[in-house]
Amino acid sequence: MWLRGWIMLSVLTSIALIVLFVGFLTHASLPFFSKYGVSPIIGQEWYPYENLYGFLPALVGSAWAIAIALIIALPCGLAAAIVSVEILPLRYQSTVNLGIDILAGIPSVVYGLLGIALLLPWLENNLDLLTGHSLLAAGLLLSVMILPTITRLSQDAFRDIDNNYREAANNLGLNWSQQLVAVLLPQAWPSIRSASLLATGRGLGETIAVMLVVGSIDRIPDPWYNLLTPAQTITSRIGREMGEASVGSDQWSALMACGLVLTLCVAVLSIIAQTPHKRAAHD
Amino acid sequence: MINRASKFALCLLALPALVVPILCLAYLLMRGLPGLDSSFFGLSTLGQSRDTTSLSNQHGIFPQIMGSVLLSALACSIAMPLALGLSLHNQLYAGRRSQSLMVHVLTTFQSIPPLVYGLCGLVVFVHLLQWGISLAAGAIVLAMIVLPVLTLNTIHALERIPTALTDSARSLGMSAGQIIWHVWRPKAWRSLLTGLFLAIARTLSETAPILFTATVFSGVIWPDSLLSPVTSLQTHIFYLAQEAVDERILAHAWSSALILVTLVVMFSVIAHFLNRHSSDNE
Repeated sequence: MWLRGWIMLSVLTSIALIVLFVGFLTHASLPFFSKYGVSPIIGQEWYPYENLYGFLPALVGSAWAIAIALIIALPCGLAAAIVSVEILPLRYQSTVNLGIDILAGIPSVVYGLLGIALLLPWLENNLDLLTGHSLLAAGLLLSVMILPTITRLSQDAFRDIDNNYREAANNLGLNWSQQLVAVLLPQAWPSIRSASLLATGRGLGETIAVMLVVGSIDRIPDPWYNLLTPAQTITSRIGREMGEASVGSDQWSALMACGLVLTLCVAVLSIIAQTPHKRAAHD
Repeated sequence: MINRASKFALCLLALPALVVPILCLAYLLMRGLPGLDSSFFGLSTLGQSRDTTSLSNQHGIFPQIMGSVLLSALACSIAMPLALGLSLHNQLYAGRRSQSLMVHVLTTFQSIPPLVYGLCGLVVFVHLLQWGISLAAGAIVLAMIVLPVLTLNTIHALERIPTALTDSARSLGMSAGQIIWHVWRPKAWRSLLTGLFLAIARTLSETAPILFTATVFSGVIWPDSLLSPVTSLQTHIFYLAQEAVDERILAHAWSSALILVTLVVMFSVIAHFLNRHSSDNE
């Protein structure tokens, strides 16, 4: 009897939490959208004191940061997964996994500290910048932070491949690189795809480390590929301004709206990652 | 030849993934260890007049450590029973469709950034319920963050138990409670503990969600009640990192970071070895 009660209680609590979460998000950001419409999402100016709430600088900033992170982390993580599963002898794999587990556990605030103390001065000295605070710094830091996610999930992808495939490829006389390109990578691809989507979501939502190095200035990079100037991401904006916005003000609900936009982006990524990859017909 | 070349290229590409973390940890040790002296732990200033300009008061770093541990312990003790209940529901009562719906919903909620949960806590607990910046608000927010991960982990742990075992237990006439205690518990406890330890490590390392909901920079040694604010290691490091121009403050931040990483790594290493044993047993 108590068992049923407990189970019912936890199911109801969880449903209540979900309702609470969705309700809060829409309720808190509704005043903003009803007052300003949805046009601020592509607005270029964000000056809370003049009631200008354009999301675009932060959206562009987030997109750049995650793009840099993926460009670096995806090849590295994938290579690390292939090396640790396909090349390293079995007995070392556990050690490598331990290392990755530890890495994945390092708190983001510690990465932020590393970024401030190591990365920013390094960028300043080597690229001759006034300040190292930049999208490049945020992207580099993010790439280290999403690396364990990508490596771990891609490792699982390669481990899950049936050994029959490897044996069949061997019997066909394919050499190691041919096996990798023609057999293993296509087999692992669906999982790698969802791994990178999940990593993208994590990177987009990363707050503290990005906030410490991105510079938090609401400007779209000018020209668009100039990654060496201070910028803003959605998360860093929320993190910076939430403390100062007064409850119920326009700025407050604008920040909540940023949260809603962020949540929607990440949820869509996650849902795409969960829907099974449709194989081409000839497979 | 081409094999060796491509293997070599792959290893070269993979190198950053394996070396960068080691360098990060080594740097952390190098910067953090020298600062771990008696004043950092507040031992040397004991009994002396309190120096308000100094970062280290008579309690040193202990209030922050206690705050982090308290938040983490509370969050996990809220989330763990809920996760167990949810996964038992999933295993005992839910149909196929609602099982897969539940997994999808949980996976989606798992991907939602912790920051947004922090906003939720700020609106609902801090302002709507008038709890203020408090231990309770932070703990519930952290519990919401780890609940999906913890539940998914528990569901997987229960699913790995062979159905033959459950079926034969049923055919012996065992009740649901007896099956859970005598059949599932011995099989699954390692994986459950792994999940719990990972959740503890996670709650210890989340910073953004508790920044507005639970913590203040200083002035708290031990929270009087569930509704009073705490200090925590994570947010302490964050505040210090913002003042990164001052070398002394930075040194303090590195030492705090070293303590935090030690705590987190301890839990994830325990989880790693528990998990390895549980997969060895299968």
